[in-house]
Amino acid sequence: MIDRRTLFGATAAVGSFVGGLFGSKSASASAAPMEMFKGDVEPRGTNQRLERLPKLDLESYDNFLTGLRIWSGSASSKTSRSRFNKAITDAGLDPRKDLPLEKIFPLVENDTYIGTAARLRTSGQQLMWSALQKHFHENADAYLDEMEATDTIGPGKLELNPDMEIPSYTKHEIHIQPGGYVGDAFAGHIYHYGTNNFYRAENYQDEIHRNISSQMPTPKDGKVLRILDMGCGSGQLTAALKERFPDAEVWGIDIGGPMVRYSHMRCIDLGVGANFRQALAEDTKFDDGYFDIVTSYIMHHEVPAHKSKEIIDEAFRVLRPGGVYFPLDFETGAGRGRGKNAYSRFSSWRDHRWNEEVWRLEYGSVDFNGEMRKTGFEVVDEGPPGWRSRYNVLGTKPV
Amino acid sequence: MATSKLKTDRPTYASDFIASDVERAVFLGNPILDNMMTSLIALGAEVWSNRRRMKVVEALLAEKGVTAEMIETYMPTAEQDAEWQKDRDRFIDLTYSPLLREGDLPVSAAFTRENK
Repeated sequence: MIDRRTLFGATAAVGSFVGGLFGSKSASASAAPMEMFKGDVEPRGTNQRLERLPKLDLESYDNFLTGLRIWSGSASSKTSRSRFNKAITDAGLDPRKDLPLEKIFPLVENDTYIGTAARLRTSGQQLMWSALQKHFHENADAYLDEMEATDTIGPGKLELNPDMEIPSYTKHEIHIQPGGYVGDAFAGHIYHYGTNNFYRAENYQDEIHRNISSQMPTPKDGKVLRILDMGCGSGQLTAALKERFPDAEVWGIDIGGPMVRYSHMRCIDLGVGANFRQALAEDTKFDDGYFDIVTSYIMHHEVPAHKSKEIIDEAFRVLRPGGVYFPLDFETGAGRGRGKNAYSRFSSWRDHRWNEEVWRLEYGSVDFNGEMRKTGFEVVDEGPPGWRSRYNVLGTKPV
Repeated sequence: MATSKLKTDRPTYASDFIASDVERAVFLGNPILDNMMTSLIALGAEVWSNRRRMKVVEALLAEKGVTAEMIETYMPTAEQDAEWQKDRDRFIDLTYSPLLREGDLPVSAAFTRENK
């Protein structure tokens, strides 16, 4: 399905304000600003599905920090790992083996090259978040107007729950994103553009989410009337699922009110009729047996282990007999159970401690597939391919 | 619990949140070194932003016959000069204020927050 933006945007002439200044029609081929709904804010138009960041300087700043992340992810990480392994080896230990952190820290904590790699990543990320948040806050009224313009219109429904109790486990600044997923009016905007940086410029057109959607398994009987995307974030997978299954009722849920608000607005911008609800994955408020497919993408490692189990139970409850559960995350594919070496132990801990991946280590302790079996799913450990994995766990609710 | 820096009376559907303490992290043994690296990164982003904008401008100008010599010899007006200085000061503050951050937690520090 060609979304409305691709149909109209990709070949539009130069933006009227640029043309007005220079009287030229031969400027950049990016799409002209288009008001997809009244109050739509996109002063610099779009790059197909992606609204361009609204200021050239902001886009360039983000462009630099994306380049830095790509560079530091290879160059400085390589140095860091090499120095780390040498320090471990020099101490008479085997870096190929998993080692306790208390043995590792004294050997590597003061290595300035390992510290440099950490600082490049952390500060690059902080500067990126800060620049994005600053822009949205400085122009808050325009962006709040934009979301208010779509809160009560379709296609697709938005159900916000401003009075719901937000559990404290959801309130952390995951990935050191300012305010986290629940604490900033523009969490959705900030998360979407921020994760474009994480994806190293490889997801500007939702490529990853659309790929996941294209691989989403369906029930054996082929009936797909309703789909649930748990922990939908900025709604990119939800939108892609609705695009693949245009006749299905597709829902995205997230605990972050600003997240589902942004997701809904973006789907309207794309002309995609997905629905969004502010809700917990462990307490969706949907009826028993309502869905044919339940999925989630990189959600489970962001919740405590006991909540992961509750979410699996909830997925079972809201699936109809024969429905499929396809959760995607670090431990649901070929990476599951992969043994750690000393560096991966240290890196995981550092991600947990300094990238505010608060629940990541707990998540690694859960026998995810085992919990799905305990709940009652018929489990295929090596199911269809999933996110960056040749297979992913698949659960089917018995008929 | 922390609350958003955005102050508005309008509904935002945001809640309070648990702030991280990453601002206190010291990865390089001396917080000044961490801070200098942050400044260096910020500086790089500013330089690149400028260069990228210039690429856009030069590409457009070339189409309109504005030469390199005209750019080299341009004299700003008094108003322009004042405005450019204001922007320079913004740039300096943005780029160098990280030097003043007071980090004190080493890599191995346990969490300091109250709730987990």
